Amino acid sequence: MEKSTLYGVGIFVLIILGGLFFIKGGQTNGSVVANPIDGQVIQGQLQKIVLSQEGFNYKDAGAKAGKPISISADSSVRGCLRSVAFNINGQKYVKYLKTPEESLELPALSRGSYTFSCSMGMGYGKLIVE
Amino acid sequence: MVKEFIKSLSNSDVEGELIKTIFISLIVSFITIVILYFLILRNIQNFIPKYGFFLFFTILTYAIILPSTKHVKAYKEFPCMTGMMIGMTIGMIAGFLPGFYIGATNGMFYGSVIGMSIGIIFGIWNGKCCGIMGMMEGIMAGFMGGLMGAMTAFMLLNDNLQYAGVIVFVISSVIICGLNYMIYKESHQLEKVSNNGSFFIVFLSFLMTVITILFIVFGPRGGLLQ
Repeated sequence: MEKSTLYGVGIFVLIILGGLFFIKGGQTNGSVVANPIDGQVIQGQLQKIVLSQEGFNYKDAGAKAGKPISISADSSVRGCLRSVAFNINGQKYVKYLKTPEESLELPALSRGSYTFSCSMGMGYGKLIVE
Repeated sequence: MVKEFIKSLSNSDVEGELIKTIFISLIVSFITIVILYFLILRNIQNFIPKYGFFLFFTILTYAIILPSTKHVKAYKEFPCMTGMMIGMTIGMIAGFLPGFYIGATNGMFYGSVIGMSIGIIFGIWNGKCCGIMGMMEGIMAGFMGGLMGAMTAFMLLNDNLQYAGVIVFVISSVIICGLNYMIYKESHQLEKVSNNGSFFIVFLSFLMTVITILFIVFGPRGGLLQ
């Protein structure tokens, strides 16, 4: 067998092994993971938060810890900012809130400041959970 | 001509070194990452699910850029038009792909900075084979590619980012193959310089892999990825 063929086979084997290790080994089942305080989510106490726009970004919003959150956007939110995206502990929550009635559901969160953006990453806001 | 080029990939000339160089770059990068994995990276929670895909494709990116660089460096000087194409193609790919993969893990700003840096350095290094025109073309392509790569990744964060990562890599590989063919086609009459060593491939593969891993895993993050 020629040297170049051997190298070609070597490249193929390396890519397959590397792909199995890096890609196959990293696949997750994509399930939604909640982030409750002390492992307890208080049922039936959904808090509603309405986002509004300030300049080219979202106005900061506040929420209470330990309760599931329903986020909607009022009519001041325009363009790509109507598609709201959260990345909470590696889990993405995204929804295009076409009308002020539509909402994005988040699990109960622990205290902290959660940065979110529009799905294009152009407009930002903070959800401050206390 | 294409058949001749494919045939030349198995001879002992400059083109015959291309496949060997890809292999060397891949093996050095994989050995580096395996060593780092058993030394420090395995202690990082969710290392493979979070960073594996992007690290894998960054390693593949270096394995397609470095052989082309070696191919270019095998010739003393190119005509202006060829040199500009070389500077632009390598600058763009070397800026776009690292920018894309690092932008996906560290955010648009840091992805852009790293993408532009790698793109501009490779653009200048390769583009200077024809003088200032190739260098300028390399700077412009690296600058543009780095910004575009990181921006594309960041805008795709919530929309099939990994599929896009595969697609841009495949397209970039085809472009690089085209570049290697172009160099082969345009370089029959050109003077060659002695360029048989693989030290700089080993060194650069190692260095770029280490820097990329450290930056992706421990580096600063912007925007949504904080």
